[in-house]
Amino acid sequence: MKKPPFNRFSAKIRGLQEIVSGGGKTVWGEPADIGKVLEGATFDVVLDNNGKDLDTVRPVADWAKSSGVKQFLFISSAGIYKPTDEPPHVEGDTVKADAGHVGVEKYISETFGNWASFRPQYMIGSGNNKDCEEWFFDRIVRGRPVLIPGSGMQLTNIAHVRDLSSMLTLAVEKPEAASGNIFNCVSDRAVTLDGMAKLCAQAAGLPVEIVHYNPKAVGIDAKKAFPFRNMHFYAEPRAAKEILGWTGTTNLTVDLKERFDEYVKIGRDKKEIKFETDDKILAALKVPVAV
Amino acid sequence: MASMVVVQHKQPSSTILSSSLSDFNGARLTASVQYKRKVWQLKGALRVTASSSKKILIMGGTRFIGLFLSRLLVKEGHQVTLFTRGKAPIAQQLPGEPDSEFSDFASKILHLKGDRKDFDFVKSSLSAEGFDVVYDINGREADEVEPILDALPNLEQYIYCSSAGVYLKSDYLPHFETDAVDPKSRHKGKLETESLLASRDVNWTSIRPVYIYGPLNYNPVEEWFFHRLKAGRPIPIPNSGMQVTQLGHVKDLATAFIKVLGNEKASKEVFNISGEKYVTFDGLAKACAKAGGFPEPEIIHYNPKEFDFGKKKPFPFRDQHFFASVEKAKSVLGLKPEFDLVEGLTDSYNLDFGRGTFRKEADFSTDDIILGKSLVLQS
Repeated sequence: MKKPPFNRFSAKIRGLQEIVSGGGKTVWGEPADIGKVLEGATFDVVLDNNGKDLDTVRPVADWAKSSGVKQFLFISSAGIYKPTDEPPHVEGDTVKADAGHVGVEKYISETFGNWASFRPQYMIGSGNNKDCEEWFFDRIVRGRPVLIPGSGMQLTNIAHVRDLSSMLTLAVEKPEAASGNIFNCVSDRAVTLDGMAKLCAQAAGLPVEIVHYNPKAVGIDAKKAFPFRNMHFYAEPRAAKEILGWTGTTNLTVDLKERFDEYVKIGRDKKEIKFETDDKILAALKVPVAV
Repeated sequence: MASMVVVQHKQPSSTILSSSLSDFNGARLTASVQYKRKVWQLKGALRVTASSSKKILIMGGTRFIGLFLSRLLVKEGHQVTLFTRGKAPIAQQLPGEPDSEFSDFASKILHLKGDRKDFDFVKSSLSAEGFDVVYDINGREADEVEPILDALPNLEQYIYCSSAGVYLKSDYLPHFETDAVDPKSRHKGKLETESLLASRDVNWTSIRPVYIYGPLNYNPVEEWFFHRLKAGRPIPIPNSGMQVTQLGHVKDLATAFIKVLGNEKASKEVFNISGEKYVTFDGLAKACAKAGGFPEPEIIHYNPKEFDFGKKKPFPFRDQHFFASVEKAKSVLGLKPEFDLVEGLTDSYNLDFGRGTFRKEADFSTDDIILGKSLVLQS
């Protein structure tokens, strides 16, 4: 795979080879062909961090089962929880029955004696495939207002990736305890959207101007304009703490500084970015923007 | 000087549990208590006694939390004295409480009449009596606690009802017991009390509830919603209605206070005590409607800055996110709240507002100010 961050895993890019230099092996192929690609190889544990629905995961699960895998772990999503007036989302709460991940969870629970499912939310960390804090940094370093739909009071959960990896590792280390369980794979704090903007600004050592808007009134699809859900989207990692003895270490105040340092180091602060959607919103709100 | 009146009773013998707890007590409370009895019977004990019956003083105890706590303590076989000015009756029958249970409680509860602000009296009366454990339910300032500690040098435990209001406001929630506190908050007296307890050589435990609700609540929490629902009025909620808060049932709080009694794991520890789930303001309005069997309410959002309400409070909650993690109590004490929100509000409604009782008369004056302006804007 030539695209970042995948190219960091094994190809020699500035000597990164993250997985390989850690003693791991990388094998590239299509999940549907996994049996062929990994012919002859046996594993104790399989973790599917790729599939979002049964069509994609089934070949992997079936192959794992037939090759005698002892523990099957699946990265699901906290997005499957039904919205609630009573946050947080806790393991066992109602999920959207038609969600792809739900179908997978059901299948693996029926297929494997020892299985666990992990439901993450948003994460930060080096090599993230999806913009998170970067979305805020892009605007803050360029002195542009941060446009947040709604009140900005929406609660979300943003975890440093090391919290996710430590939870997964614990499940591998404690297979009996983890077996048959669902774990919200998130940090142990919620942050408001406004709060996240302010923390990013603090990390950058710069001021921030937050502008709220009503997406409907402005004629904008908030999903396209903003990388977080426009609602409370807040799960807590209660099962991991109780069952695995996991503790969270995410501290956005500290972690975002490290993230900002990398943001600058890779030169993204100097990158030319077009803020078409932002400008559209601002025009609708008639807010002047310094050019 | 207030006179000291302590009625002497025989120490209660073997009883702990009544085999049938009324719905007033909540069926779920029987579970753990019945288990205890079973264990002793299996061991062939002839007399079923509390692990050790203690002489307990409750500062306050006649208004809300103490009503439930004192009953639990008496049922567990402890000798319980309430320190109050005597303005409210020491024993008042609670809604749903069977006569037999009430008369049993009334015959056992003791009264020490006095003003806790009279520090000399507090010190002399307490040291004359001697108590094993103090539950301080109505303490607000640190100086109120000093004479109690001075009077009882052999005190086994000082259990304090503090408040989650001591936490410093944060964008990063929930509040954990280790979070920063606000020395300037309205509840700084509670903080100062906690500091005093920590600085003295006493075995203390501090409980920090969030918003407490339940039958006989004197703080218009659920009552505020019930008045409007009953009147068929819209519910005015400030700003987005997405603010997340947290309610804890008073019976669960009383259970928590029992759990920490004589519990080594609670020694010199602070615990947040409240419901396991939080709730948005809008969600709370809907939950109250469900609890009282009302149709789904009409909610009106407004910007409080656009109005002048004078001295009146238009809404009974802090206009911010405010919730605390109760994980520590769960993992350290094994404490799990019995009531979820709708169940708890239903309990409150059935035993209080739904019977026609409430503490404050309905006052819709601030609602009308809001609605008046809203109507104007709509036309």
